[in-house]
Amino acid sequence: MKAVFRRTLTMLLLLLVSSFAVFAAIRLSGGDVTAARLPASASAADRALFRQQVGLDKPIINQYFTYLRKLATGDLGNSLTNNAKLSTLATEKIRNSLILGGSSMVVIFALGIPLGMLAAMRRNSWLDTGITSISVAGMAIPNFWLALISIYVFSTLLGWLPSAGQGGIRYLILPTLVLSAEGIALTVRMTRSAMLENLGQDFVRTLRAAGVSERRIHFKHVLRSSLMPLISLAGLRIGQIAGYALVVETIFGWAGVGQALVNAVLRRDYPVVQLFSLLLVVLVTFGNLMATVGYTVANPRLRK
Amino acid sequence: MTRALLGVEKLSVGVHVSGLSYDIVRDVSFDLYQNEILAVVGESGCGKSLTALSMLSLQSSPPLRVTSGVVMFGGKDLLTLPRAELRMVRGKEISMIFQDPMSALDPMFTVGTLLTTAVRAHQNVNKARAEEISLAALADAGIEDPRRRFGEYAFQLSGGISQRVMIALALVNNPKVIIADEPTTALDVTVQAQILERLLVLKKERGMSIILITHNLGVVASVADRVAVMYSGEIVETGSVAEVFRGAQHPYSHGLLRAVPRLGSAAQSLTAIPGRVPQPTEISAGCVFAPRCERVKPMCHEMRPALEIRRSSAVRCHNPID
Repeated sequence: MKAVFRRTLTMLLLLLVSSFAVFAAIRLSGGDVTAARLPASASAADRALFRQQVGLDKPIINQYFTYLRKLATGDLGNSLTNNAKLSTLATEKIRNSLILGGSSMVVIFALGIPLGMLAAMRRNSWLDTGITSISVAGMAIPNFWLALISIYVFSTLLGWLPSAGQGGIRYLILPTLVLSAEGIALTVRMTRSAMLENLGQDFVRTLRAAGVSERRIHFKHVLRSSLMPLISLAGLRIGQIAGYALVVETIFGWAGVGQALVNAVLRRDYPVVQLFSLLLVVLVTFGNLMATVGYTVANPRLRK
Repeated sequence: MTRALLGVEKLSVGVHVSGLSYDIVRDVSFDLYQNEILAVVGESGCGKSLTALSMLSLQSSPPLRVTSGVVMFGGKDLLTLPRAELRMVRGKEISMIFQDPMSALDPMFTVGTLLTTAVRAHQNVNKARAEEISLAALADAGIEDPRRRFGEYAFQLSGGISQRVMIALALVNNPKVIIADEPTTALDVTVQAQILERLLVLKKERGMSIILITHNLGVVASVADRVAVMYSGEIVETGSVAEVFRGAQHPYSHGLLRAVPRLGSAAQSLTAIPGRVPQPTEISAGCVFAPRCERVKPMCHEMRPALEIRRSSAVRCHNPID
């Protein structure tokens, strides 16, 4: 419990530091927000006036404190490109991203764990070799490439699934699979090796000697011990998925946080970049926190 | 003599590594009778644990597998029993207690869950009844506060309590035979005595038969009825404890007994057996003990002696001690 408390404190500190880092980095990276907002014909004076209006002419540190003050009162600010209130804009994007990220998390473990178990229980069979080889590919193939290939195969060639956009569950399938690929592969390999390791433990022999069935030994006892490393994996996966979402959402035209963040960076829409980058930081640290909490709760030795 | 409850006949267990096979347990035969404790004694690596594990097909296979022999129990050969039937024997008819109780208990589940899982593997009872049976087994294993231990995890238990939990786990389905593989080796001396006392009580009160694997001759003398001495994968002598301890006929058992320090005898250096145990790859056609034997005869190097009945013991020797 103490560890969880310490983690929470570190998390808050980390948020503060990274909020400033993001704030400063996007302003120091050059580029011009006026290009996206004002017509190309706008004069230098017009551009300067616009900057002054939104407060971009002040020193960065002053801007940062204004930003923090507003944040404390719950004012997230407005987009610089279309003046929309960020709180309204963000709700929609976050919802979309949660749908995609959430289904990826589910798919990763719903597919990865059973496949890993299967490979371990049929060790050295063609099934094991098949599952293991595909999972190596899953880890090696970059997701942008996998996204393009899967669009080409399933949308262009076969015409089974839509290539981009939002709609029913059909629109969710390709982006979810691409976003999950690496996670599934990692889960398969971790489950397989943990199962094999635990099958060699003394306690398995004890259970066998007591006449407990092989199925029960595998599915209850060995699996329980083997899930422990996966809890940490799950926590870290949350952050990974959040990061990969930038690429996957952009390619599949999924109107989520990732896509919005990429667009905002291209347009130098500072408030949007700040908000969504911070959201990613929150997600990553939250994932780590969840790993600690989950591990503590699941392990009787730590729980007691 | 009554019929044996369990009979091991010419059991050989081999290891298969990188294309080569060696038998590391050879031609092991012994009988176990109702209501007795049979000690299998020998130094580390002599194959006593492997023999015990192989009887219930619990050896890690691959690389270890039984190459010949039968293990007769209840009119059936346990080694050729289908998996499902073998499972019904394990824990229900014959159960096992292992050497290192701390790692032999699943760390993720409470003692209670482990016990009730074992109960329900063999008995079709509801949860409450399984719990009753488990608590009774904990009490029978000599645990003073069964209800408290029932809710604890393996890591919360001391070595002695863990071993008692192992005993409870072995007892919970009321088997006829318990194979105890070095049950006291990992424990301190006072706890050792308590565990052995518990095994004796089980034999007396329940008429159980126990195979006690140990390297400790003191343990053999204090609890066993009969003893089988193993050397380098073979049984070299078997007989009643009284007889073997009074006058061992095989030079190895004789040497082993002389190597035990005795309280009260004049301080002198212990008698050691010269040489070392042969590797499985070095087993020759003759007697396995011949290279170290002080009574060796020319034929010992050429022909392997059979286990022959002499007086009321059985000895594997061409030139036994009278």
